[in-house]
Amino acid sequence: MAARFDQESYEQVKGKPAKPMNTKGIPVSRWIDGVLEDKAKIAQKDNVRAMVFWGHVPNSQTRGPEMKTAMEKLDLLVVIDPYPTVSAVMHDRKDGVYLLPAATQFETYGSVTASNRSLQWRDKVIEPLFESLPDQTIMYKLARKLGFGEQLCKHIKVNNDEPLIEDITREFNKGMWTIGYTGQSPERLKLQQKNWHTFDFTSLEAKGGACNGEYYGLPWPCWGTADMKHPGTPNLYDMSKPVAKGGLTFRARFGVEHNGVNLLADGVYSKGSEIKDGYPEFTADMLKKLGWWTDLTAEEKQLAEGKNWKTDRSGGIQRVAIKHGCAPFGNARARSVVWTFPDPVPIHREALYTSRRDLVSKYPTYADRKSFYRLPTRYASIQAKDYSKDYPLIMTSGRLVEYEGGGDETRSNPWLAELQQHMFAEINIVDANNAGIKHGDMIWVESPEEGGRIKVMAKITQEGMAPGVIWMPFHFGGHFQGRDLRSKYPTGSDPYILGEACNTAFTYGYDSVTQMQETKVSLCRISRA
Amino acid sequence: MARMKFLLDAKRCIECNGCVTACKNENNIPWGVNRRRVVTIDDGSPGERSISVACMHCSDAPCKAVCPVDCFYVTDDGVVLHDKDICIGCGYCFFACPFGAPQFPKDGAFGDRGKMDKCTFCAGGPEPDNSAAEYQKYGRNRLAEGKLPLCAEMCATKALIAGDGDTVADIYRERVAYRGAAGLSWGWGTAYGGRQRRARGVDNKTSSQD
Repeated sequence: MAARFDQESYEQVKGKPAKPMNTKGIPVSRWIDGVLEDKAKIAQKDNVRAMVFWGHVPNSQTRGPEMKTAMEKLDLLVVIDPYPTVSAVMHDRKDGVYLLPAATQFETYGSVTASNRSLQWRDKVIEPLFESLPDQTIMYKLARKLGFGEQLCKHIKVNNDEPLIEDITREFNKGMWTIGYTGQSPERLKLQQKNWHTFDFTSLEAKGGACNGEYYGLPWPCWGTADMKHPGTPNLYDMSKPVAKGGLTFRARFGVEHNGVNLLADGVYSKGSEIKDGYPEFTADMLKKLGWWTDLTAEEKQLAEGKNWKTDRSGGIQRVAIKHGCAPFGNARARSVVWTFPDPVPIHREALYTSRRDLVSKYPTYADRKSFYRLPTRYASIQAKDYSKDYPLIMTSGRLVEYEGGGDETRSNPWLAELQQHMFAEINIVDANNAGIKHGDMIWVESPEEGGRIKVMAKITQEGMAPGVIWMPFHFGGHFQGRDLRSKYPTGSDPYILGEACNTAFTYGYDSVTQMQETKVSLCRISRA
Repeated sequence: MARMKFLLDAKRCIECNGCVTACKNENNIPWGVNRRRVVTIDDGSPGERSISVACMHCSDAPCKAVCPVDCFYVTDDGVVLHDKDICIGCGYCFFACPFGAPQFPKDGAFGDRGKMDKCTFCAGGPEPDNSAAEYQKYGRNRLAEGKLPLCAEMCATKALIAGDGDTVADIYRERVAYRGAAGLSWGWGTAYGGRQRRARGVDNKTSSQD
């Protein structure tokens, strides 16, 4: 396999040359730069030449006009989604675009995770409509075409190209020790699904019945193997409960000391802990030193030898640590100084495009970076230029309750679409009157440099927005710089409501750690259309 | 016999439009017809308040009183319904209704005066319960299935409550007891003159609810 990857070195990691497969890839927010940036300036062999949009919409990302150019420069563009999405229409490609219909959540079954760390089992409501296939089937077929279908499903039964979902859940149960994604077996999740009525709405704990003492969704960390029957952790770092009952300490994630300061907990520990102080992450050696090694079974000992709580595939180290009231990942202090971040403690840095030039010298942004996630990334060179004369208004964006994400799904739902029929910009009455704009007028919102111009409806407000700031929702799509793209959707698949994507007008700017795109602060000017 | 009522607790409504969406989906209501609507007052300003409004199923319903063809009837549960086969789409009920409940679909040759459509408290119409004809004209008959209106069943914050007036009152009374203050329902100030009294400087203590 390794031979098929780029073997050159473009970046140094810890002072040594690093192969691309061992360096961080280009994040989704920057894919357009992977396509458009000069090849000599990026830390990989070639530009990005193919894009697969899988359950992702382009209108949640900024720099619309450049994105359109990047889409048109690609060799191949694939959209895997229940809806065509804006990816299908915003470019003017004539060839090399494939729309692969993916099944919705109602057309498949299996375990699903929510952002509250809990998992639940769901049932299939209807068979997949038309030619759509569930994601796992598409993934298997793609892997097979690329030549590693068998490796992907080595431990997963495959029926008619569909990997067995129970086996997929078991597969991650086997490996994800670091976050305790291991105890939620398909059998335990299905049992909870049958016993919904026994869970308390407030505490999420089952009172009696087949799941007695478990928390709904077995929120991770749900330590050890499923046989250990850990109830899940409803609240992180709750030391008032034993770890075996869902209690937890802070993880010893960052070593035991930094610059001579002890990082472990000082005299505090979770209820029932036999170690009455801070302690590091559990390892096989630590169990031996504590005299707890003999608590492991012969089988566990074999797999646990020389390992730690996250590499021991038997789960024995986790089991024994918890048996003695300890958290497998140690007991440390919360870290509020992140010494690995550009700003160890968050400080204000003025936006790249700002109308407050007086704040730039006091709160300057970062220096430009040559290679950050393989790409040159600009900060100071953008902030240096004053755009506020031509673009005096601050532009920000957000969400509407009726729509979700890029909105392709929700704008295709008649009940929701009826409630929000126009893409709009919310403007303070002072700015509106200064620009001669009335409520309901169509206006142009234009932003500097790489930002585009968008035609939207004006919503005038007295107090909703402060003077000098305009706000737009980001769920619209299907119009591009004044052009209605409805005719470009495959017949019958166009959403009820189309509109300009506000991110078409949003400009350059990326987070200094994650490269999250800047969708909250830029500059613009407005005029009647 | 039950006496069916809606109650909207304005302290809890978050303007999510879940009730509107539930109603439209359950009863298959066309675009442009809104049996239920969320009205937001002072949107974006301090004191903003939302209420969800539909037919209130009045005891002495003005729509029924003024209908020239007498198409309205009241069920044993106190639900105000009408017969679309008798309705002439004149819109007189719309004049009479204090809540803007009657809706007029825009289909047909003469624009916007089709047969009147309104909230049925999910109780269908004169056709046999849960028949295809009933569903086609009036939507779902949930009461006949032993269920309450879906708008209230779906309300995430339980701001909208539907059911027998006695039960609804019990729930609201308990809430008010928990909150430790009375008179927080929408319209209280209007009904008891809070705004006028404040304007005259008579009562400065009254909360700024409405």
